[in-house]
Amino acid sequence: MKVQGVPLWLLGIAFVLCSGHPRGLRRCPISMDMRHLQESFQDIQRAIQANDTFQNITILSALDSLQGIKMLDVCCVTRSLLAFYMDKVFKDHQEPDPHILRRISSIANSFLYMQKTVQQCQVQRQCPCREEATNVTKIIHNNYNQLEARVAAIKSLGELNVFLAWISENHQDGSAA
Amino acid sequence: MLRRLVVPLAVLLSLCPGPGAHGTDLPSPPSVWFEAEFFHHILHWTPAPNQSHSSYYEVEIHKYGQGLWESVPNCNLSLVPSCDVTLVTLDLYNCSGYRARVRTVDGGRHSLWTKTETRFTKDDVTLTVGSVNLEMHGSFILGKIQPPRPLLAPAGDTYEQVFPCFREYEIAIRKAPGNYTFTNKKVKQENFSFPVSGEEGTFCVKVKPSVASRVNKGMWSKEQCIVLSKQYFTATNLSICFVFVLLLCGALAYCLALQLYVRRRGKLPTVLVFPKPSPFSLGSQLPCPDTLDTIHPLDAEAFLKVTPELRNSRLHSSTDSGFGSAKPSLQTEEPPFLLPAAQPQEHGPLEKGEPPELQDSCSHGSSNSTDSGICLQEPSLSPGTRPTWEQPERSAGQGQDDSGIGLVRNSEGQPGDTQGGSALGHVSAPGPEGPEEEDPAMMAFQGYLKQTRCMEEKATKAGCLEEEYPLTPNCLGSKFRTCLDAEAGWPLPVLAKGYLRQDPAGTTLAPPEAPAAQWKQPVEEWPLSALTTYGDLEIPDWSCTPDRAPLDCAAAAGSLLGSFDSDLVTLPLISSLHSNE
Repeated sequence: MKVQGVPLWLLGIAFVLCSGHPRGLRRCPISMDMRHLQESFQDIQRAIQANDTFQNITILSALDSLQGIKMLDVCCVTRSLLAFYMDKVFKDHQEPDPHILRRISSIANSFLYMQKTVQQCQVQRQCPCREEATNVTKIIHNNYNQLEARVAAIKSLGELNVFLAWISENHQDGSAA
Repeated sequence: MLRRLVVPLAVLLSLCPGPGAHGTDLPSPPSVWFEAEFFHHILHWTPAPNQSHSSYYEVEIHKYGQGLWESVPNCNLSLVPSCDVTLVTLDLYNCSGYRARVRTVDGGRHSLWTKTETRFTKDDVTLTVGSVNLEMHGSFILGKIQPPRPLLAPAGDTYEQVFPCFREYEIAIRKAPGNYTFTNKKVKQENFSFPVSGEEGTFCVKVKPSVASRVNKGMWSKEQCIVLSKQYFTATNLSICFVFVLLLCGALAYCLALQLYVRRRGKLPTVLVFPKPSPFSLGSQLPCPDTLDTIHPLDAEAFLKVTPELRNSRLHSSTDSGFGSAKPSLQTEEPPFLLPAAQPQEHGPLEKGEPPELQDSCSHGSSNSTDSGICLQEPSLSPGTRPTWEQPERSAGQGQDDSGIGLVRNSEGQPGDTQGGSALGHVSAPGPEGPEEEDPAMMAFQGYLKQTRCMEEKATKAGCLEEEYPLTPNCLGSKFRTCLDAEAGWPLPVLAKGYLRQDPAGTTLAPPEAPAAQWKQPVEEWPLSALTTYGDLEIPDWSCTPDRAPLDCAAAAGSLLGSFDSDLVTLPLISSLHSNE
């Protein structure tokens, strides 16, 4: 019986691993009211984008072809971009307007919650980073570094709508906001 | 020195136009913005103030992240403050967005550019629906939402592909002429339904699309209405009516077929159809002029050559109906085989005015019937006449079944011998008188009288009988006599007992009343037997069922009774003959 039990146990583990791998990000959903975030940003989008004087450069241009990002890379890319905004954009931007500053703070807090959720998926090894995902993150960082920090921060804030829409489409389950 | 240069410099500056001289001269549009639907992108701007008639606008589009501004040709030289930039913004749903700028131009002069405040992205597209179709299905209204299908959209950019997930539609319903009830009910697919069981009127629906994961605004569709009327001709109602009509037609057809069947069944074959017999009447016993029946008289001498056994045999009437169907009129028609009779043949054919004894009616050559030749002779009321008739003796065990010779003449109305046989009217042992004294050779045995086709006779007989027929089993015998008395001019028909069923124990027959009593049983049977023999019955006669024979036969038409009466007429005569033997 022991001899017969061992192969079955191994088969079960293999089955679980094989079935769990393709799911990828679907096993790391983000339960966040993305619609509220998007509406919050729309209030300050005009003011922030009006201050963007360099229209020929984009920071998140790699996300323009988001259809090319595979499901397996979504979790890694999401985790990288959340870290980019939290570590660089929100720190480099100096907002004088309190109304705009309040909205930016709300968005930053939401990003912090999402960051913790994705980190849990990473601990469970459900958020692997492949080379394709790493390359997307490098391009974004390069675009940011080519500009002055203040200008890059403004530009990155102005492109938040793109990032929020992408998260909403890839991380929301059937019960959207 | 400097004072001398200031004045020329001032003149020179006034003559030379500055860098902003063009922008300052012409006012620029105050604002520029996008208004877009799915692949229908329109750039709007507010007109510049104090425009001259020769001024126009220039529009340029810039894709965010790319270097150069692109001019929009179809928007240049535009006099209206809007322009369709769909063709230059087809990549809107796959990029970070577009920016646009507009300026006023008048001649060689132009204003400053006025840019859009925000980037034009997919979030700025107002969602719409192509159409809404309403259909009635039973007690529900089914709605189908058709997404927009713009002509300028590229092949791979359908509404469902651009917004693949979380598409929703808000439904608003109203019943005219009421207002809309916004229940904020959203459906997550392009089909919806709502119940309207039992309601009538006009229902109007409009739909507003949205995407749950996006902040795109939605636009209410055009109102689509459907009129509901009272459904009388529904599938259910029509099917019920159809089934009802089928059942009704089936019932009618069944009744018609049944009626036809009964009528047809009641109709007898033509060869067996005999005219309705009239009530028994002696006076009406005219020789039937029916020429259809051919009677082949038997040669008496030939009959004499018949073996004595046959001649003297008892005539048993079994269950045969020969007796009951005989009629007295047949006596006049048939010359049955002649038996040697003790008395000279003084009787002629049954005619009016003749004595009732018509013993020799059969001896006359009126043979116009197809009968076998055995006919009955009326009972002889005159005491002198005692026709005898002999039949071949038959053993007790013989003649149980009727062989066709079913009548027995009894002397003086006495029933025949009851020895042997089970048939009616069998020839009993010869009595003390009668047959011995009679001339056996010339006895006209009339046998069973064939029913004639003479309508007059039968009508007369029927009339006679109908008048006095009592509702008693013995009515036949008694009333027969009454009829006989009434028709004094007519010779008495032979009271044929017909086939008297004999008791196997050998019970003798009773006196003249006995025939009536004996007829109890045969009465029960003769209707049926009569029917089978003569078939001279129409439908009303069928009411004379065996169970109700005595009563119903009285009430039936006279045809059956008429024939029966003839047998009754001959019965006593046969009995008397037998007794004589």
